[in-house]
Amino acid sequence: MKKLLITVFILTMFYSLSAFATAENTPNIVHEKVLKNGLKVLVKEDRRAPVMVSQIWYKVGASYEYDGITGLSHVLEHMMFQGTDNLQSGEFSKIIAENGGRENAFTGADYTAYFQTMEASRLEVSMRLEAERMQRLKLQEKEFVKELQVVMEERRLRTEDKPQSQAYEYFKAMAFTSSPYRNPIIGWMQDLDDMTLADLGAWYQQWYAPNNATLVIVGDIQAATVFELAEQYFGGIPAVEFKAVKQRVEVPQLGIRRGIVKQTAKAPYLLMGYKVPVLNSVEHDEDIYALEVLSGILSGGSSARLVANLVRGSQVATSVSAGYDMNSRLANLFLFDGVPTQGHSVDALEKAIIEQINLLKTEPVSKKELDRIKAQVVAASVYEKDSNFYQGMQLGMLETVGVGWQKSAEYVDKVKAVSAEKIQYVANKYLIEDHLTVVYMLPKSQGPKGESTQELAHAQ
Amino acid sequence: MRSNYQIVTGVVLWFACSVVMAVPTIQHWKMTNGAHVYFVATDGLPIVDARVVFNAGSAYDGRYSGLAALTSSLLDQGAAGQNAQKIAEQLESVGAQLSTGSSRDFSTLSFRSLSDPNALAPAWAVFKKVLNKPDFPEKDFKREKQRNLLSIKRREESPGVLAQLALYKEIYKGHPYANPIQGDAVSVAEISLVELNNFYKTYYVANNAKLVLVGGISRQQAEKMAEELLADLPSGQKAAAIAEVDDLTKGTAIHLEYPSQQTHLMYSLPVMAHNDADKFALYLGNHILGGSGFSSRIVKEIREERGLAYSAYSYFHPMVQKGPFLIGLQTQNEKSDEAVSAVKQTLLDFIEKGPTEQELIAAKKNISGGFALRLDSNKKLLGSVVSIVATDTPLNYLNTYLKNIDAVSVEQIKETFQRRLAVDKMVMVTVGQITGEKK
Repeated sequence: MKKLLITVFILTMFYSLSAFATAENTPNIVHEKVLKNGLKVLVKEDRRAPVMVSQIWYKVGASYEYDGITGLSHVLEHMMFQGTDNLQSGEFSKIIAENGGRENAFTGADYTAYFQTMEASRLEVSMRLEAERMQRLKLQEKEFVKELQVVMEERRLRTEDKPQSQAYEYFKAMAFTSSPYRNPIIGWMQDLDDMTLADLGAWYQQWYAPNNATLVIVGDIQAATVFELAEQYFGGIPAVEFKAVKQRVEVPQLGIRRGIVKQTAKAPYLLMGYKVPVLNSVEHDEDIYALEVLSGILSGGSSARLVANLVRGSQVATSVSAGYDMNSRLANLFLFDGVPTQGHSVDALEKAIIEQINLLKTEPVSKKELDRIKAQVVAASVYEKDSNFYQGMQLGMLETVGVGWQKSAEYVDKVKAVSAEKIQYVANKYLIEDHLTVVYMLPKSQGPKGESTQELAHAQ
Repeated sequence: MRSNYQIVTGVVLWFACSVVMAVPTIQHWKMTNGAHVYFVATDGLPIVDARVVFNAGSAYDGRYSGLAALTSSLLDQGAAGQNAQKIAEQLESVGAQLSTGSSRDFSTLSFRSLSDPNALAPAWAVFKKVLNKPDFPEKDFKREKQRNLLSIKRREESPGVLAQLALYKEIYKGHPYANPIQGDAVSVAEISLVELNNFYKTYYVANNAKLVLVGGISRQQAEKMAEELLADLPSGQKAAAIAEVDDLTKGTAIHLEYPSQQTHLMYSLPVMAHNDADKFALYLGNHILGGSGFSSRIVKEIREERGLAYSAYSYFHPMVQKGPFLIGLQTQNEKSDEAVSAVKQTLLDFIEKGPTEQELIAAKKNISGGFALRLDSNKKLLGSVVSIVATDTPLNYLNTYLKNIDAVSVEQIKETFQRRLAVDKMVMVTVGQITGEKK
């Protein structure tokens, strides 16, 4: 199980309070306590079932890495299951399993998180084990050599042998110049090859400390009990002094960037991304919520514009979507991706998408359309309460990227406040050609020398 | 995200021992036209989930492989004179969600809405149209067919998908389960609207339908909603039973050369149907063998000992007729021989000696202690109830589960695996590149 790798991509998340649901139906109270050593503890009580999820989020991930050490955060995540001073390799997982628990971990660009879902009375088990590996990880050469092989297999599975995933990797590396988002979360194969146990030890010492972590518990538990246990198990772990994280802001893009990635694939694939700000990179957030709603207008459901006009209408695309992750730590991309129908080229699909963007720039969206997106946001904010895990994930992520968990409560109202004029404004302000990166993934030809194929490059 | 955690799909397999947890009460009634309704009342969230299950999976495709999937995907693309756009707009303007899907055994429609009448009533009315009066418009039919054909072509971009298709083709030779759910390029090209309409009329009927409702509504509301949704469906006939699966007569190894860095390996044979008399022994045995992630032998041997794969697992996938027992992994091409030997050896050891007493105790603790996790949301509850009712499992299944799990012994697992898993008849499929130094 463990060691998932989250690549946030073409992913629109909606969350928070509802207009349909009444307040007593959907309690939304978060209890916060910060221990003396800086560990932040967040608790959300949900008594629907006698279960709980415990997540610990560290402020470290692929975007904290630099050239030559890419993939280090993720490999360290794997090693966190391979033994501590008091636990044999694999013993952590064994104890959780014997307690009926499910556990895993994931590494993103901006975070590394570990979680256990268990019957609620087992909370103490997960706390004891997480506190142990926060301070006493035992990095061993034998386990490292083996686990590095596992990660390389993971990379082959997820990237090398998946044409679209690999194209996305090249796309990001081309779109970003100075931002660390140019590197893949799992790391470049060469960097994995060059990784040493000493690199991991230093990374662990640098980032795994209570004042760099947030503990989030959601479920059938009392906040007071959680705070008590947190104090008992984590309270004695000393804080670490941190140097300021280098900002590594992306340099301005001064013109469109285009690339081609040839792959062993049967259909071409289009990737487009505009440089845009995110909640964490701006003072005033109106533009951010407008971009969020704009992504809904294009891609929020099967009545949204891209599917309506490009899949069902002109039938230039067999699939197409837009995505915007407003909750990343650093400025990011407003993304489009799609596969053209047979007989249409990626070039034609790109033109069709640009046409949709231009429409947003010239004409305000209708009230009906806007209301539909807002209704979906409101409903989704109730649906998400069906999952303790998702609720915990929202709090942990917002806190860890620097936005602050409190922002989740504002979401629905901020979305509702977005006007048609504001959407038109942000379309004109941000979705501009000079800030665009386009990658065409083209199938390699069947020819003997692998020369590029002609059939896919021309428009119909 | 891909994890190493594989669970038997299609059946509900958990129970509480130390935890006092209310097992959901499944209410059941039959409508006058023959449709069965199952209802679980929940409180806490103003949400309604519903799923309608028809015995109308790809096993019923006949000579038009891919027909069930295409029919199902077109239901919401035009109904009662309203086009796909209008249907989507009506649902999404109240935040409701509707989706369709097909497996080899079943086709389903899944629905979610807020329980607020202002959302639920209009959304349910759209659901009714989609289910009762699909128009199968010519234009949408052509488009969806083309999309399916491209998706079929794109299967060749994935060594994992190719391995699974090759495996089913071999272990179900001569049986409808052998065909891909989506069909193949030739069969899909041959499908016309005539077949689609016939398929719909034959299988989307009350005697072949089961509705599961879960959510914050009363029994009275549930009855009313069921009537509204299904009362107009013609009774029709329950679908004929799917043919039995023949036992494999000899072991086979199939290799497909593919330009990937990894070789995908699948080692399999058909074993378990729903409600199999041996299911608890098989389930517990597999939990120990390769069904419980890092606690399982396959992960220990393949990943933890040898570092051969990121994902390695085994599962029983129970189906209406015998579904596959399957061990799977992916490893770099150079290591595929080593992986093949390690997988075979791990399985042979387990079959010969069975699990240890400690392994069985740990597995029982994991299953019973984790019981509450399997029913802790409306979404999971819906999935569990659907699994029970679609497979004609007794409705008290959850109530008796603890006893059944607890009763399984080491000896029983060993005996059952020896009797049911004919290792010499298993099929090994590998998809990847044969490297220089081997073969």
